[in-house]
Amino acid sequence: MSSLSSKHLLGIKGLSVEDIELIFSTADNFKDVLNRPMKKVPSLRDVTVANLFFENSTRTRLSFELAERRLSADVVNFAASSSSVTKGETLIDTVNNILAMKVDIIVMRHPNAGAALFLSRHVNASIVNAGDGAHEHPTQALLDAYSIREKHGEVKGKKVVIVGDILHSRVALSNIFCLQKLGAEVMVCGPTTLMPKYISSLGVKVEHDLHKALEWCDVANMLRIQLERQDIKYFPSLREYMMLYGLDKSLLNSLSKKITVMHPGPINRGVEITSDVADSDQSIILQQVENGVAIRMAVLYLLAGKVS
Amino acid sequence: MNLIIRQSKICDPQSAFHNKTCDVLVSDGIIKKISEKISDKADQEIDGKNCMLAPGFFDLHVNFREPGFEYKEDIQSGCNAAAAGGFTGVLQMPSTFPVIQSRAGVELVRNRTVALPVDLEVAGALSSDLVGKDLTEMYDMHKSGALCFTDDKKAVQDAGLMMRALLYTKNFNGLIMSFPNDRSISGKGQMNEGVVSTQLGLKGIPAIAEELMIARDLKLCEYTDSKIHFSTISTSGAVDLIRKAKAAGLKVTCDVAAHHLLLNDSCLEEFDSRFKVKPPLRTESDITALKNGLKDGTIDAICSDHSPEDIENKQKEFDHAAFGAEGLETAFSAAYTSLKDILTPEQLFEKFSSGPRKIISLPSIRIAEGEKANFTLVDLSDQWTVSESDIRSKSKNNPFIGKKLSGKVKAVVNKGLYNIS
Repeated sequence: MSSLSSKHLLGIKGLSVEDIELIFSTADNFKDVLNRPMKKVPSLRDVTVANLFFENSTRTRLSFELAERRLSADVVNFAASSSSVTKGETLIDTVNNILAMKVDIIVMRHPNAGAALFLSRHVNASIVNAGDGAHEHPTQALLDAYSIREKHGEVKGKKVVIVGDILHSRVALSNIFCLQKLGAEVMVCGPTTLMPKYISSLGVKVEHDLHKALEWCDVANMLRIQLERQDIKYFPSLREYMMLYGLDKSLLNSLSKKITVMHPGPINRGVEITSDVADSDQSIILQQVENGVAIRMAVLYLLAGKVS
Repeated sequence: MNLIIRQSKICDPQSAFHNKTCDVLVSDGIIKKISEKISDKADQEIDGKNCMLAPGFFDLHVNFREPGFEYKEDIQSGCNAAAAGGFTGVLQMPSTFPVIQSRAGVELVRNRTVALPVDLEVAGALSSDLVGKDLTEMYDMHKSGALCFTDDKKAVQDAGLMMRALLYTKNFNGLIMSFPNDRSISGKGQMNEGVVSTQLGLKGIPAIAEELMIARDLKLCEYTDSKIHFSTISTSGAVDLIRKAKAAGLKVTCDVAAHHLLLNDSCLEEFDSRFKVKPPLRTESDITALKNGLKDGTIDAICSDHSPEDIENKQKEFDHAAFGAEGLETAFSAAYTSLKDILTPEQLFEKFSSGPRKIISLPSIRIAEGEKANFTLVDLSDQWTVSESDIRSKSKNNPFIGKKLSGKVKAVVNKGLYNIS
């Protein structure tokens, strides 16, 4: 098998295990490329990719852009703040205008759940979902699972805890879907106000005590607290959040085994994790960032095969 | 104008012809003759074979968008959709622009004449501009014909205001309608809170947002010794609360929207905004509870909650798409499809005709000689797949398009007029 089952990457939900394995093996090849002095390959020459970011993002956009450029694609960037969106143009019109300029692949981040699926129904281009509301963030989940695979040899049978704001997190949802497809056990841990009431229907364990959660797991994925995404207060203060769900060195050292620490970035140092944890040898945060480019190259490469 | 409906089975327990297959002669809007065979000729004849003739349906919850949003629906197109769906009367909600909140607003709608067999009744706003702060001139509106008062889907958040509205209308036997929704809990929710919302990452509207408000209003209803009607209830807990309140002797009634009897929240798995309604589509166990509530009489009426929205307001990112479904043409068929094994035709017709009329104190309708001709002709054996061409509303946001339904309205007669669907 050498192609994906869909012309879009809308979410992990729509991927088969074979799709994910194909993305991983393709990323293995690109990771080798990234470690060569000549980091560029001609795979996407004559393919035009538009990065549409209707929500602020620095690192995801940069990661996508680097992936696109290293595949020799032509790249255009579109940020909502400088766009016609503020003039009231609809999403479909905005994207069709861009497509009229002969764009092949759209990478889109959008604040509303379902926006990528919606767009794929109404425009004629390959859509890569770079995050839609609290729904999915498939490339993040792929790079997280890929990083676990890299560190631990395989994902199957591993115990992964996702800590933090599960209610507003597309990273959590995509990670749950991805890790479960690959055979890992998943637990979620966080304040009860930030835990969806029906989360256990997804087949995850739920734990509110961070110490217990960390004792259980092989890998802890510490989510960023995104205050900008919370329209009301779900916990009284960052100080109290840190007291309950912050990971510091003494907690890490108190565990009976060495766990791996991940974070999707950007880190609020001293909130989700302290600096000495982020910079410790148990953290694979920078490997995640590196793998992000390889994963995105793989996704774009495989989708471009469907375009031409 | 003379009209004969041939050989339909009359379904009206109040009528001497109940369950008999007859010809019905209508002349100048009055039933002149009911007989097994009428040999006269008429200007218009309707074949009622295999059909049932029921007292005309009444819809307690329609949003015609006139004045203000005529591009979504005006009174003419709305009444046309109502007639197609078997409704000979509708209650227009006050959520127009400007809001129907004064005698002038009520009269504007009531004086609008349409050459269709549909009576147009009006609900006035409970609070000025529906913002939930100050009472409107409900007495004046009542005198000019407003049948009840409600802030519609805005839902009165302030308990004190609801209490004063219940007390104030008692004086002139006015009726308060409450759409139960606690906004401090439902917030920016987009769909039912449950397994599906968790998978979709959409903000949930928990059942408790509805149930808390019902519990509050029932307490107020008891305290003020007034009557209250709950619009479009949707949860199992809501049915339980109202069942208990009725048993305790409170003057409470309620209705359910037809789409809540057939569709559940899994319809939203593809983020299709046609299924984005308020209250949200709930779960299969809620549907079962609603059916039981209809059977045991807890729920008095079925409405369409007709909420036409143009494509610009629906074809959007899900969070931005408007709530609401167009539904007059399909309400009866949707309800029959859901309830055919639960209610007898007679019981179902009651939920569409005498049930809603009784709530707003309209006289019930009889199919008898000398009475006004006001009835709906339905073929319960017909199965049909809804297509966009069946929709007479200006807006096409009907959630049943493409779905197969049982039972079809064939015609309505009222005000000396008839309409064939």
